[in-house]
Amino acid sequence: MAPKKDPKAPAKKAEPAPAPAPAPEPAPAPAAAPAIDLSSVKHLGDDILFSLHSTDYREAFGLFDRVGDNKVAYNQIADIMRALGQNPTNKEVSKLLGNPTPEDMANKRVEFEGFLPMLQTIINSPNKAGFEDYVEGLRVFDKEGNGTVMGAELRIVLSTLGEKMNETEIDALMAGQEDENGCINYEAFVKHIMSV
Amino acid sequence: MGCGMGKSRIQPNKCDRVSISVPAATAIRAALLIQRWYRQYVARLEMRRRCTWNIFQSIEYAGEQDQIKLYHFFGFLMDHFTPASSERNLISHIFRENEVCRDADWERYFCYKDIEVPDSYCGPHLTFPMTFCGVSKLMEAFKLKQQLHARYVLQILGETWRLLRILPNINHVSVCHTKEITICGDLHGQLEDLLLIFYKNGLPSCEKPYVFNGDFVDRGKNSLEILLILFGFLLVYPNEVHLNRGNHEDHIVNLRYGFTKEVLGKYRVHGKKILKLLQKIFSWLPLATVINHKVLVVHGGISDSTDLDMVARMDRHRYVSVLRPPKAIRPTLNGNKAGSGKDEDASGPAEGRRRRVRSLTNTSAPGQRNNIPRRSLHNLPTGGAQLNCSVEDELKERRRLAGFDQTYREVKTLDSDSDPEFGEPTETHGHEWKQIVNLLWSDPMPQNGCISNEVRGGGCYWGPDVTEEVLGKHNLQLLIRSHECKQDGYEFCHNRRVLTIFSASNYYEVGSNRGAYIRMGHDLVPHFIQYQASRTCRELTLRQSVGWTERSALRALRQQLFVHKSDLVGAFQEFDPNNTGVISLRHWATATERVLKLGLPWRVLRPQLINRAQHGMVDYQQWIRELSITEPKPEVSDTSIMETMYKNHSNLETIFRIIDTDHSGLISFEEFRQTWKLLSSHLKMEISDKAITDLAQSMDFNKDGSIDINEFMEAFRLVDLSTHA
Repeated sequence: MAPKKDPKAPAKKAEPAPAPAPAPEPAPAPAAAPAIDLSSVKHLGDDILFSLHSTDYREAFGLFDRVGDNKVAYNQIADIMRALGQNPTNKEVSKLLGNPTPEDMANKRVEFEGFLPMLQTIINSPNKAGFEDYVEGLRVFDKEGNGTVMGAELRIVLSTLGEKMNETEIDALMAGQEDENGCINYEAFVKHIMSV
Repeated sequence: MGCGMGKSRIQPNKCDRVSISVPAATAIRAALLIQRWYRQYVARLEMRRRCTWNIFQSIEYAGEQDQIKLYHFFGFLMDHFTPASSERNLISHIFRENEVCRDADWERYFCYKDIEVPDSYCGPHLTFPMTFCGVSKLMEAFKLKQQLHARYVLQILGETWRLLRILPNINHVSVCHTKEITICGDLHGQLEDLLLIFYKNGLPSCEKPYVFNGDFVDRGKNSLEILLILFGFLLVYPNEVHLNRGNHEDHIVNLRYGFTKEVLGKYRVHGKKILKLLQKIFSWLPLATVINHKVLVVHGGISDSTDLDMVARMDRHRYVSVLRPPKAIRPTLNGNKAGSGKDEDASGPAEGRRRRVRSLTNTSAPGQRNNIPRRSLHNLPTGGAQLNCSVEDELKERRRLAGFDQTYREVKTLDSDSDPEFGEPTETHGHEWKQIVNLLWSDPMPQNGCISNEVRGGGCYWGPDVTEEVLGKHNLQLLIRSHECKQDGYEFCHNRRVLTIFSASNYYEVGSNRGAYIRMGHDLVPHFIQYQASRTCRELTLRQSVGWTERSALRALRQQLFVHKSDLVGAFQEFDPNNTGVISLRHWATATERVLKLGLPWRVLRPQLINRAQHGMVDYQQWIRELSITEPKPEVSDTSIMETMYKNHSNLETIFRIIDTDHSGLISFEEFRQTWKLLSSHLKMEISDKAITDLAQSMDFNKDGSIDINEFMEAFRLVDLSTHA
């Protein structure tokens, strides 16, 4: 496609920052109801930082726009959030989008202003996992308590449970991680992956 | 860590012995955690990869835009040309046209028969007519890095030239039940990719037709080898092998992008002759291929004025370089200028340039074009007899040439390569030329419409509505084109009515992209085969490959930043009225984009470019200082000359190579000096004569009064010493 300096595309770099956040409020949990009302998303917590970063977010958003209409497809939303350092499950994102059908996921598009409140919701969500959580997550499979897990067991778990990964993804994840016994030292593993 | 991808696989017997050892709920929670975190890892890598891609693409297109600047410069020269000016010799030197000859003369000039092949030659020997064995022998030799002797090169090229002259402008190909056709995109001198395609897909043969969609040369270092192999197969299977002309099959583009240098480097004695013959061959390459009357294959694309009937009818060889309007746009014999076509919506670089140049240097409106003295690139007389001519003499020379043409027009045969006739309506030539520029240089865009392609400096951007219209008008169902590098080697757009195919893998850098080719059968449904040529990159993990390409892109970007140092400091200072030495990161991003105009996501790139930002502010002077690049060898005190040198690096090289008409690799002191003087006045720089002379003297490394172009360019090659590389 035409490079980003397509003359018809509106200038992306001159966006003003969104309105400054109101003073931080005590953090209520996001709506527990199945439908999430994005219009009522409050600005909370680390939000001053959020406003400062939203132009960064807009640039990153633009990177994922393959069509040039300043929007991204529903099925890209989760990845953009992840690229921006968040960690939603696919289910959480689906809920935010109103549980769209597979066709909707592929065809419907959303612009940056629609995306921001979704991102904000995810940022506000309490289920944040850090380094320790991931290590704990792997430690459950450490049967001998020696800091390693069996690669084979991990493969089964990842491919059959939760939000299943396919063989290519698993291969990519495990690339070069297993020693000659098929075991993985998981602390080092997590450190390596998180340093991207 | 560090093993290749794809080596570990789920081994069935291991799985049998393994079961999940923890309670289901725990396992599910753990699985979700790991899966989320893995997907975040992949997404972050993807963002970095896209950033890197953007960098490469912007810099590439900015480089092509440099060509506009070059032609601005030529236009500037034209408008300041006076017979009395001291740079006159240089300028006529630059614009010297090819001598007009008959085909018979050319055949004599290109004759290989007197070239002896010495006994010491250990490369392949070819016999003619070309056979499949001959081409295979050639391929084997190239794999062993042998070089074909100039005699055989000229022989192959001569045969190719003869064959191409009888081919039509548009190849028509039929694909039947038993045969599938293979379509390849840009190769750009990357022999490894061509060999990989042949290895995976099989060699061309009667059962295996191929279409090669242009851009065989430039950038890669085996452009000539690729040409020889493709031409070899063309000679052996003329009905099954089809070549389309690309925008790089153009000798002016080659001057800048490396093919000319490659040929002259490999063939010091006969290089010039080989280049001349290639110039003719390129102009005779067909412009497009149509498969089963339904699929159009062309290198660049289309425009809203694309008319395949006009394309089929024209004399394509008239347009030797698409970057210059055709020779036939010239004054009628009584000296009045005939119109050069009413191309107000200039989609060609030359047209646009001429108008732009006029607005810079003349005050006359476009409508008064007929009154402006004729100063196009082509109206300078040829040969060496022009030293003392005035405009009057120029016209006399024109008439002489016209007369010269007249005397042998009677014996001119259909496939003559002589100068096209005079007296034909010049508007037609303008239209035809525009058709070719659009076919070879255009790019698709997502929005409807058709606008001029300012980024490349040639052709247009065309939208989905134009695709529907043009395909509909010609009863076609698919447009296959190349011209743009794609991550996966191919990409659809315009509702899958336009398909881009790109066959040079690792184009920007090792691991940057895959190449691909198309297989298509009777049903005209394209199937894709992707590949990546280098063994090294296949063994890299995704993260290593992204990292490698990213480092390379950042290096290229830092060079661009370095080259624009003074402009950047100026732009930063606008945001720092109190001269504190620091500005906010937001302002840094805005200023940098204003100067470089690359359209890059600067805020996303910031952590990679600035490693010391406190409280959202950056010390810009220090940052600029840290963009360290090696100092060049010569001692030049005037730093503004240095910056100009770096900025105009590629254009300078192109100009010097144009000046160096005998391709000796040397230009005289005086030519160098005059070029600099002209360039600096065009760029509105103040450079004293003394500074230029000093510069020239320092460039003359061996003090023999001439300057070696290669040495000169080496001295100003940018090398990144920065510690974060």
